[in-house]
Amino acid sequence: MSLQQIYDVEARIISVSNVRGKVYKMAIDAPEIAGTAKPMQFVNVALGDSTDPLLRRPFSLSGIYPDRGIIEITWAVVGRGTEIMAGWQAGQSVKVLGPLGNGLDIANLCLDHGLILVAGGTGLAPLFPPASQALARKAEVNVFYGARSADDLLDTGDLVTGCRLHLATEDGSTGFEGLVTDLLEAHLGVQGTGDNGKPTVISCGPKPMLKQVKHICNRHGFPLLVSLEERMACGYGVCQGCAVPSAGRKSGYYRVCTDGPVFWADDIDLGECTR
Amino acid sequence: MNLTTDLGGLRLRNPVIAASGTFGYGEDYIKAGDISWFGAVSIKGTTIAPRAGNPPPRTCETPSGLLNSIGLENPGAKVVIEEKLPWLAQFDVPIIANISAESCEEFSELAAMFARSPHVSALEVNVSCPNVKAGGIAFGTNPDMCYESTKAVRQVWQGPLIVKLTPNVADITSIAKAAVEAGADALSLINTLVGMAIDVNTMRPVLGNITGGLSGPAIKPVALRCVWEVSRAVQVPVIGMGGISSAQDALEFLMAGATAVAVGTGLLVDPEIPRRVTQGIREYCEARGIETLQEIVGAARR
Repeated sequence: MSLQQIYDVEARIISVSNVRGKVYKMAIDAPEIAGTAKPMQFVNVALGDSTDPLLRRPFSLSGIYPDRGIIEITWAVVGRGTEIMAGWQAGQSVKVLGPLGNGLDIANLCLDHGLILVAGGTGLAPLFPPASQALARKAEVNVFYGARSADDLLDTGDLVTGCRLHLATEDGSTGFEGLVTDLLEAHLGVQGTGDNGKPTVISCGPKPMLKQVKHICNRHGFPLLVSLEERMACGYGVCQGCAVPSAGRKSGYYRVCTDGPVFWADDIDLGECTR
Repeated sequence: MNLTTDLGGLRLRNPVIAASGTFGYGEDYIKAGDISWFGAVSIKGTTIAPRAGNPPPRTCETPSGLLNSIGLENPGAKVVIEEKLPWLAQFDVPIIANISAESCEEFSELAAMFARSPHVSALEVNVSCPNVKAGGIAFGTNPDMCYESTKAVRQVWQGPLIVKLTPNVADITSIAKAAVEAGADALSLINTLVGMAIDVNTMRPVLGNITGGLSGPAIKPVALRCVWEVSRAVQVPVIGMGGISSAQDALEFLMAGATAVAVGTGLLVDPEIPRRVTQGIREYCEARGIETLQEIVGAARR
């Protein structure tokens, strides 16, 4: 059990920008969170003083800048809460609870054989911090990133320097035409033939994609970590709402908010997952 | 300003309690808040055997409300008594053990288990959970069954005994009277209202359990009405809960007749809510020269 302190800060919004389409990015001045957050942790953002919408909204950190005391989140407008947030302005203050979740201890991960990141759509956002930390440790980082079309891809600018980027779009408007998992399969098929050690794979994106990535990694013997989403109420472990079915030794459910959001794929049952 | 209050023998430093199921056993809450902000804490509803809980999705936000169908996920009484309570006791805040069972025999056995723990200040008998198939709400919708289950606990537990009631009944006062007749020292009300939501894209119910319990500000008027009716019908103290998210909400419950209040869904949104509510009650009273909480309890009915 992690004893990391969770802060509830009244933070100033530094910037809100429309990345593309329905995707927005926000930088927040939150030194306590920026100073202690790990890659793939998340924050729970309050939507204001009104009770409707009632709950905070959880977002993975797409940027962690401890030196400047800044965190960044990236989101797609999918409902009322995210719509409200899209209207926010720089200078406004916002209540942010975090850092939340287990996150990723990059120092505990074997990077000798590199790191493979697999993302779909806005699922790329939480993978920016682990990518930059792995690069700082001189690891070879391969990023497989897919979306419906070129218009749906997030800006990969920050990743280009240092990472090997493999893009896929379903309509072929950029990169490989097809699913990112097909691109991944071809790559792992080649890498997986040798006896040498295998890189860890980390994946974030829609459930059907994660299921497919798990299938591919199992077939080729690659260790896989996935970052999950689930309907969440509290975000900090008290309500037990964000249950994900376990697989393997533990019976019952894990909580995405505190046991996750990062899980070894073998520990969870993605088949029963609801989204 | 004196904020202490008394719940049938259970003394509280302040009237704000953590509602069962929104605080766990404290070990996650402590990372975000301070347990000593509470007058007492009611632990997650505990059963004799461990329960895995209901299939997801387990929560769904509604206008100013929250539907949940957790399904009493808990590690079982043995683990709670041996591992959770000794840890939670170090914070020196009275622990209310919320217990749930499928029969009177089970209630009796469970109460006897908790009676052997030195860390339990009060028992809260859950006869109102809407999210489990057997037991739960069935005990709280029929006065005779409420009487029998309360009696079963009363016979093995000498300390303060609280019964948590459901609003999903035609006449909550008849259930309340049955609980008091069977020996309840205090009553908690209300538990959640049974509700549901449907996803028009999938054409399916949102919750894995189909129905769930509605909580949050949306249910506050219903809860207030229940507190009003019950505190007039019985002589024991009432703990008011249901949508409290501010000091003003808490004051309304106190004025309706509650001797203490609990925060539940509010705690999920704001871990600091107990501090905010306690502070707000204090400021309200001091501004008006009110010296004890008892001066406002039931004030709206005088």
